[in-house]
Amino acid sequence: MSIELIIFLAMVVTFIAGCFALKLPVSISMVFAAIIGAIVGGYGFPLRHLVEGMFSYVDTVLVITTAMIFMKVVQESGALDALSALIIQKFRKKPALLLCLIMLVIMFPGMITGSSTAAVLSAGSIMAPILMIMGIPVVETACIIAMGGLLGMIAPPVNIPAMIIGGGIDIPFVGFEGPLILLTFPLAFLFVLMFGYKYVKHFDYDEIAPKLNRQSIETHGVKIFIPIFVALILMVINKAVPSIPNLGMPLIFLISAVVGAFTGEKFSPVKVCTESVKSVLPVLGILMGVGMFIQIMTLTGVRGFIVTTCLSLPAGLRYLAMAVAIPLFGAVSSYGSASVLGVPFLLAFLSSNQIITASAISLIASLGDMMPPTALAGIFAAQVVGMDNYTPILKRFIVPSIIIVVWAIGFIILSNSIAPYIVFK
Amino acid sequence: MITLIYRGIVAIVVFFIIKNIFQEEKLTLQANATLVIIPLILRLLMIK
Repeated sequence: MSIELIIFLAMVVTFIAGCFALKLPVSISMVFAAIIGAIVGGYGFPLRHLVEGMFSYVDTVLVITTAMIFMKVVQESGALDALSALIIQKFRKKPALLLCLIMLVIMFPGMITGSSTAAVLSAGSIMAPILMIMGIPVVETACIIAMGGLLGMIAPPVNIPAMIIGGGIDIPFVGFEGPLILLTFPLAFLFVLMFGYKYVKHFDYDEIAPKLNRQSIETHGVKIFIPIFVALILMVINKAVPSIPNLGMPLIFLISAVVGAFTGEKFSPVKVCTESVKSVLPVLGILMGVGMFIQIMTLTGVRGFIVTTCLSLPAGLRYLAMAVAIPLFGAVSSYGSASVLGVPFLLAFLSSNQIITASAISLIASLGDMMPPTALAGIFAAQVVGMDNYTPILKRFIVPSIIIVVWAIGFIILSNSIAPYIVFK
Repeated sequence: MITLIYRGIVAIVVFFIIKNIFQEEKLTLQANATLVIIPLILRLLMIK
């Protein structure tokens, strides 16, 4: 047994013991795993490397925090309620289209924050009662919400697993929009129709109309949507007019959040910021832990060991290994899976277009959020619809998971052919 | 200019994380928040 494998096993065992035996947060378990890895590797307590590792995700930390502040502002100002009510009213006679738009609303917080939990807990909790009133059973509603969370996490503009994978081989997060849109939106529409269409073919709008919150849109009108438009405009303006300097996502989210404070319901900005930071801290901690974990893996040669193992697999087996190993490692953390296994697999497919391949691997990594025992998206979706046990949701997820993996691998295989049409830098 | 703005954003985030550390009762969650704050303070002070 090579020393790298021993170090890796020591890190994984420490991590699992921290998470499950000592019930520590994932982030702290990762820190301990990194420290143990360094000690077993003969590097003692490498403080400089631990701090260096944390710095890998400082920009991502700022994006997630400001995105969550923006999301809370959109929620508190009443814009999210108004958007839901407007979509249902306008498209009540076209249930298929209505379901697709509801799916987009569920995905929206995930798209902005890069977190499936944010999507499930914010827009998911708002849309769950509406879906159930429309006649969709509880389990299918939970599946739609969980799937919206997963695909929202991967859809642009913010995709943290893709950022992590790209960061591993110094690819800037530029040009990912096209591949991510094509990877996520068709699947989102397919799954929402698969889970819900047969129940909503003949739904009665008058029954759900009184339960929609229309107060904010009636009070404030269209101006309630201004912060969302400001965010969208600031995101695309730099692409359309390159002479305008890029403000960066954190500043765009903060500007939009400030605008949102004046366009809808009144709220306390300090309270919104406090709650936002509190809700994202576990995710930020995981990123810090992942940074340290990866840095120590790199320092001790474990990362190289995993890369060479992946590279030495036969081509056909490589796809199978990726399809199984990445979601399985997601039981630890989908971000951790993207970092530990996503980067080696991206290197293994070096001859394919790297942006499309990284995007496709990030889609497979998202399945980690449905992998027990952590299964964040599944657990929160079950909570939102009032289920005690998330096992029925996981069972319904088997076929969609296979479709997701096949879809992602298809993109990797065809990446060089389709890259000129979908990757725009 | 943009550097100063971003240092301001980092300062805001640091402020709310510190607020959270004092409001949080569980030691492990306080440790988690402390972990996040270390690189942000180093960046705020332009040490790294």
